[in-house]
Amino acid sequence: MKPLFSRVSGGLIRGIDTFTDWTGKLVAWAALAMVLGMSAVVILRYVFAESSIALQELATYFHALLFLAGAAFTLKANEHVRVDILHQRFSAKTRASIEAFGFLFFLLPVCVFLIVVAWDYVAMSWKVREASREAGGLPGVYLLKSLLLVMPVLLIAQGLSEALKATRKLLGIDASEASHA
Amino acid sequence: MLELLPLLLFAVVCVFLLLGYPVALTLAGVSLLFAGLGVAFDWIHPGLLNALPNRLYGIIDNYTLIAVPLFVFMGVTLERTKISEDLLSSMGALFGGMRGGLGLAVVVVGTLLAASTGIVGATVVTMGLLSLPAMMRLNYDKGLATGVICASGTLGQLIPPSIVLVLLGDVLGSAYTQAQATAGIWPPKAVSVGDLFIGALLPGLVLVFLYMVWVMLVAWRKPQAAPAMAKEERARYKANPWKLLRILLLPLVLILAVLGSILFGIATPTEAAGVGALGALLLAAFGKKLSLKVLQEIGESTLKTSSMVFLILIGASLFSLVFRAYDGDALMHAIFDQLPGGVFGAMLLVMVMMFLLGFIIDFIEIIFVVVPIVAPVLLAMGLDPIWLGVMIAINLQTSFLTPPFGFALFYLRGVAPPTIKTSDMYRGVVPFIAIQMLMIALLACFPEMATALPQWVYGT
Repeated sequence: MKPLFSRVSGGLIRGIDTFTDWTGKLVAWAALAMVLGMSAVVILRYVFAESSIALQELATYFHALLFLAGAAFTLKANEHVRVDILHQRFSAKTRASIEAFGFLFFLLPVCVFLIVVAWDYVAMSWKVREASREAGGLPGVYLLKSLLLVMPVLLIAQGLSEALKATRKLLGIDASEASHA
Repeated sequence: MLELLPLLLFAVVCVFLLLGYPVALTLAGVSLLFAGLGVAFDWIHPGLLNALPNRLYGIIDNYTLIAVPLFVFMGVTLERTKISEDLLSSMGALFGGMRGGLGLAVVVVGTLLAASTGIVGATVVTMGLLSLPAMMRLNYDKGLATGVICASGTLGQLIPPSIVLVLLGDVLGSAYTQAQATAGIWPPKAVSVGDLFIGALLPGLVLVFLYMVWVMLVAWRKPQAAPAMAKEERARYKANPWKLLRILLLPLVLILAVLGSILFGIATPTEAAGVGALGALLLAAFGKKLSLKVLQEIGESTLKTSSMVFLILIGASLFSLVFRAYDGDALMHAIFDQLPGGVFGAMLLVMVMMFLLGFIIDFIEIIFVVVPIVAPVLLAMGLDPIWLGVMIAINLQTSFLTPPFGFALFYLRGVAPPTIKTSDMYRGVVPFIAIQMLMIALLACFPEMATALPQWVYGT
């Protein structure tokens, strides 16, 4: 049992982590795109007295991409804030148990709920190919809204990877070094 | 009994937060559990949760909040230009000759960095690495040296442009609209992030002034605690005046451009943040600090910070939906109405509660979870939203200093030599925490410090 779990979980962890890394590194460029887009909006308005709704909305798109598609990458980097008063005093085993518990009872239900509750909302938007209500706005509001589904899916994947890492520590497959110190 | 469930929700959230699983997910998970129970036992209407996707889209579509990643980008990029190192050594050369001079230099640099990078962690670490050894060589009192670094490092929370004020401005904006709608005031007045920036400016500078007064007071009463630099030591810092001017000028122009354009209503904070970030990129490019690798790192850093903030906002949205579904708003109104002391009592309770919560949870959670619950009630009692925002901001800034969990203390501990004991640091921040309290009291007595400047700018 153990060797099988060890092999399967090892493969899953590697696969998911590589995928999350890759998406995170790609999506990170949305930050630069936002900066350039927003600067262009300002320069157009104050230098050329022109306002570009499309460009302004583009900044919104990149912003949404950044924080929604980046949530899993942030989880992998362990940069989602924790209350660490007690956490830092717990043993590595306790911490690993919390990680597995948190995935099962917090991350997974929340993300599944987000997917369920947002599904119709996004589907409706796709059906009418919802576009911006502003004149000169972008036509891709349905894509923007779809990010509400992308985030929980990516989070579930990375959460699973983190939970598997924790389980491996609990089973003694990996040395239980304090990776979340 | 049922009407107390919102309080139970809050309490259970706090208990589970202590486990140390990411805050955003714990917050959302516990709220979801309460929602499930509520629907199962018919306590709340299941349809209420269907509002969530629209709420979340509201976060995406929120123009003001775009300022958060842009300001983060600006700060991270400026960090890369080694601006803090340059500022510290030039200010050290400028002030080092006088008693308490290095301490003053730390306050001045902390202020400048607060107005440009605004990153507490990076500021404390840099000053801890550069100024702390310099002050130790001069035999500064360890408490004073560490206290002034921690306190000056947290100024980024209060002095605009600060992420705290952006988030607070957004939350208070909707709370203000809500309070006026409840009171039947139409058309409602608005409060924006720009208003808070302008409102926080004067209190921020007064706070800086108080820090400096304290350093000078110590240097005057106990000369051995904050000695001046000897000639030889100063020579190490000697920079030629041109270099000093160049080091100071470029960041100053950037700070003035960003703050000035908001102050004079030329640009919104979001636009100013975009241009500020571009300016920071240009500064970094001129300093030959930019490469593809650096850009990648700046992007990742920005991504992680914004994702962290916004995931908490998403968790908090779910929390507030469930809190409302259980009629938590009505409960808050009832509790505040029964408090003795009216508005003053209510405000005092909120400030003390936030101060205490600041010992365990982060400013982001306080802004997204606590402020939306209490602010509508306080504003309905007639408090000024800008004043309230600045009071909260100073309070939250203080939580960075309070031992044992103040962030500034953690960051400094990480880079301070072992000869400096943690108890030195705790002793060192005490006077500065007292100054924070004094500042809050001053602002409570003279609300004009926060409200006069916005009124003058907008001419109302």
